[in-house]
Amino acid sequence: MKASVAVSGELPPSLQAKLLQGGRPGLLLVLSIALLVALLLSVQFGAVPVKLQDWLTLLDFSDEQTLTGSSYVLWNIRLPRALFAVLIGAALGMSGALTQGLFRNPLADPNLLGVTAGAAAAAGLSIVVLSGMHLPIPMSWRMWILPVTAFSGALLVCFALDRVARWISPGSIVGLLLTGIALNALGAAVLGLCTYLATDEQLRNLSFWTLGSLAGASWLAAGLLLALLLPAWWWVRRMISAMNALALGEAAAAHVGIDVRRLRTQVIVLVAVLTGFAVAWCGMIGFISLVAPHLVRTMGGPDQRQVIPRSMLMGGLLLLVADTVARCIAIPAEVPVGIFTALLGSPFFLILLRNARGRLA
Amino acid sequence: MLMKTTTQQSLLQLDAVCARLGKKDFGPFNLTIAKAEKVAILGPSGAGKSTLLKLLSRELKTSSGDIVFQSRPLASWSLMELSHLRAVLPQNSDVAFGLETDLVISLGRVSRAHDPDLANIVRQAAAMAHAAHLLGRRFDSLSGGEQARIQLARIFAQLWDQSNGLILVDEPLAALDPGLQFDLLASLEEYATERQHAIVAILHDINHAMQAFERLLLVKNGQLVADIASNREAVPALEDLYDIALTCMHNQEGDLLVTPLRASSRARKSA
Repeated sequence: MKASVAVSGELPPSLQAKLLQGGRPGLLLVLSIALLVALLLSVQFGAVPVKLQDWLTLLDFSDEQTLTGSSYVLWNIRLPRALFAVLIGAALGMSGALTQGLFRNPLADPNLLGVTAGAAAAAGLSIVVLSGMHLPIPMSWRMWILPVTAFSGALLVCFALDRVARWISPGSIVGLLLTGIALNALGAAVLGLCTYLATDEQLRNLSFWTLGSLAGASWLAAGLLLALLLPAWWWVRRMISAMNALALGEAAAAHVGIDVRRLRTQVIVLVAVLTGFAVAWCGMIGFISLVAPHLVRTMGGPDQRQVIPRSMLMGGLLLLVADTVARCIAIPAEVPVGIFTALLGSPFFLILLRNARGRLA
Repeated sequence: MLMKTTTQQSLLQLDAVCARLGKKDFGPFNLTIAKAEKVAILGPSGAGKSTLLKLLSRELKTSSGDIVFQSRPLASWSLMELSHLRAVLPQNSDVAFGLETDLVISLGRVSRAHDPDLANIVRQAAAMAHAAHLLGRRFDSLSGGEQARIQLARIFAQLWDQSNGLILVDEPLAALDPGLQFDLLASLEEYATERQHAIVAILHDINHAMQAFERLLLVKNGQLVADIASNREAVPALEDLYDIALTCMHNQEGDLLVTPLRASSRARKSA
């Protein structure tokens, strides 16, 4: 039954491994090491200098564990903050890679398409309206209100995008980005209304949070985020080959056996969860989700099985560096990190646009 | 007796199938594709050829009528089951992100959980589609004709180790030069014959259809106007289909060749 055609033997013998796993783990390893180094370096920077023996305080079981001074700063402020930055960055990188894969375009990004704005608008509404209503909500539930409302906002925008993208020319990134402009404007209007209605205390809360900041970091927050990211990654792993098939187009993906509708719904819910929780805990941090997948695609190829994990590491690395700079550039004050990512990300987006100009029309 | 054998050998069966696209109605289509049969769909532009193919591939929903694939309703097949027995090559062959060609070809087999011979199949499918030299390159760096070969290789890989399957192709030869058209048509024929796969192909070139296909489905104005064997008897129906006059000749091997002339000369001829 095998065809009697001559097969050229020029290919590397590792083709099977490449096709099954998506290539060598080299870049993943490099990114992991870079991330670890950045993590160790970032906790050194700040108002209080950290000494080597501060690292050992937790291992010192001889006397009572009382963290004081610089060791307290290291273990209870810097480390959870750095881990939180890495995890939020990973969530943003993953949601960016998923969005780009879903819309089959490197310019698709939860930020530009208004998903982040939708999450922020919903969360803003819950800050101003819900807290104004004085509902008898148990204390333990309160910390989930913001994430859940932000998730609902993100989900709403995602489904709206999915619909609208089909009405106007399917596959056209221009139509998609224009829809993103409209949704961003809508989100901004709702947030503006919240700002207008807010009390003084709520206003401080709102403005700090819309600029994007990791100041809310704690071991609890980092732990919760990890508990969210691990199942998300497990879920993504199951559909990662199908994400590659999506690059063929929806019809062709269905013909090779992919349930495209189910895949789209899963990706949309995942993107909404990741964006919603990131926004609820840190406000709007832009451009990580756009830049990270693009960088790893340029460095190591477009195979989604590699792009998604690498984007997570790259996103974590980028946000960690940005946050360290934001913490240290104006000690003792702290600049919101969202300002930095936008400052770096906007020119990057313009470069992307220039490279894509042929395909935009 | 003859009836019985045909139903036994039937691979795909359409029974009064209609579809509606916007304000345009298509059908009803009644036809049977037998196992290992090679069928060409011909018709003027906009006649509904692609619509018919999309009905066969389940890409388009029927508004009425029944489609049966391998004695089960087509709608009851899961996409994964279907992908192991049926490959579809659509007209539009865009691939996002510039994936590498070997990955694109291997995506034909993405729904198989365990695929130990994947790399071999990808290489052999590429060689059969005259695309072995294109392996390892980015899809978006290829010319239109090269992209068409990679997409054809993807179809080959998808049903490589199956038999009695179905291949649906929409103008596979459109972007190719004449030499490659003959090579790929020969590959397609050889591939399908070896595995007893049936082919249903939309074609523009009447001679390709006459030489490589046993049966012609002629589509015009959303209707199946003729379902005939591909031989000299088909010529009058083809003239009607395109509103042209066809001059027939034979080459040295005895193959029938047709050359179209303008419809006005046909009118003069009949007058």
